[in-house]
Amino acid sequence: MDLWLIGELAITGALVGLMYALVAVGIVLVYKTSSVANFAQGAIAMTGSYVAWAFATLMGAPLWVAIPLALVTMFGLGFVIERAVLRHMVGQPIIMIIMVTFGMEIFLRGMMPGFFGVAVKRLDLGIPQAPMFLGEMLINRAYLIGGITSAVLIVGTIVLFNSRAGIIMRAVSDDQGASWSVGIRVERAIAIAWGLAAGTATAAGILWGSTQGVDWSLSLLLMKALAIAILGGLDSIPGVLLAGVIVGVCESLATGIVDPLVGGGTRDIVASLIILMTLLVRPYGLFGREQIERV
Amino acid sequence: MLLSLNNIEVVYDRVFLAVKSISIDVPEGGLVALLGANGAGKSTTLKSISGLLKPERGEVTRGAIAFQGHDLLDLDPPERVRAGIVHVLEGRRVFGQLTPEENLLAAASMHRSAAHVRQLKERVFAWFPRLTERARTKSGYLSGGEQQMLAIGRALMTEPKLLLLDEPSLGLAPFLVDEIFDIIRRINKEAGVAVLLVEQNAAAALEVAERAYLVENGRVVMSGSAEVVKGNPDVEAAYLGGGHSIDYRAVKHYRRRKRWLA
Repeated sequence: MDLWLIGELAITGALVGLMYALVAVGIVLVYKTSSVANFAQGAIAMTGSYVAWAFATLMGAPLWVAIPLALVTMFGLGFVIERAVLRHMVGQPIIMIIMVTFGMEIFLRGMMPGFFGVAVKRLDLGIPQAPMFLGEMLINRAYLIGGITSAVLIVGTIVLFNSRAGIIMRAVSDDQGASWSVGIRVERAIAIAWGLAAGTATAAGILWGSTQGVDWSLSLLLMKALAIAILGGLDSIPGVLLAGVIVGVCESLATGIVDPLVGGGTRDIVASLIILMTLLVRPYGLFGREQIERV
Repeated sequence: MLLSLNNIEVVYDRVFLAVKSISIDVPEGGLVALLGANGAGKSTTLKSISGLLKPERGEVTRGAIAFQGHDLLDLDPPERVRAGIVHVLEGRRVFGQLTPEENLLAAASMHRSAAHVRQLKERVFAWFPRLTERARTKSGYLSGGEQQMLAIGRALMTEPKLLLLDEPSLGLAPFLVDEIFDIIRRINKEAGVAVLLVEQNAAAALEVAERAYLVENGRVVMSGSAEVVKGNPDVEAAYLGGGHSIDYRAVKHYRRRKRWLA
């Protein structure tokens, strides 16, 4: 096995993993503020890329207009989801809330292709096809730009979470009743979390849509995102960053090294295996918070 | 009057009557204690003032609550905080995953100016120098007394006119109880914040309060200046630990107490 190949697989995997992680950030954001598992994140990413495509192609807006427009629209959609759906679920058993978010996933997954047509759409960000050479390694430019963009956006959310607005969102996740008692507008904080989740998902959807085209299969990013969110520990954004790289590299190495031996198909096993192993061995993930129990 | 409760009735889940008829007045800058046994309806009364009944499916079904002459019942909890009422919940309820400093910042969501927030934060750290030392550890690891100080300090970040305190002495060592009550008195006197204090530790509460209300079974059964309430033989026997010997007076007092329950 030559080292250049492993290096190439690892770097590509890390970049792809960061792009997965950008989907996972939204799951963590929502879980962190409202302790709701957001299973709609994959379809929201898909919807975001459809919206960006619609602005760019159907309405003919240039990319630098279409992308911000899509981000704003989807931020608004996240707000609406909280307002119209989740606020009514307050106080319901957790399984009901999970089913509602999962129902939204399925609804959007069917709705978007139904509305815009099932054919794969092209969303061209103008990234050159030719790979970049790093020694003997070939690096896909779309992944390079996607990975870096994702990393920047994820670091941005970490910074946001340490700002005053972020402290308020963390307070809400800690104790909603106490948040209320000191004048925090709890519903608004949760709505902003959903808005940000939809926004980051859209950014991820656009990046993925540009590499593999826009169609319903983008919603399958949910699986990878779940694996990352669980491995990172559902409420840790730095955890997402690291877990994203781990999942991406594992997948890439499995594809490059194990696939030729067993005849393919290991790529999709990796995410499921990681979910399973994390839940069995370390259910709170790599960076998940422990419950503080004073004795 | 800063706050006046007029004959309020509170029902949980549409069936359970927790407060039957409570009327309380808190004057501007006053320090009023609400005393009574477990389940008397003291905490429920505080929640009806701060609006925190709603998450527990409680509702004020009768009576009126006026704050500075305005009706409170239509406002949701964050609006009431902005009007100047802040509730320090029973059991402290600090944000355990956040540092004390972040706890204070989280409670300042109504203030726009960062300089103003910093000023308020410094004031709280001046009130509670002990928190300064622990400012960077997670609040979940603070001691009970420190958490209580943090909970009060956090409430002060909202710049309240009225501080509702629910059992600040709960689970604290006696010397800490003294310290906490000392701080409550100072906040009341030096910052001019009116305080409505709910306590089971009647002796400590009557030390600091100017007026006191005694609540039993969802009703106010006695009210008056702290001295008068303290001097009442029934209160002494039931809440202040007097009357250890069993004699006819004690029996008589017990019967007198029974009359309120009817």
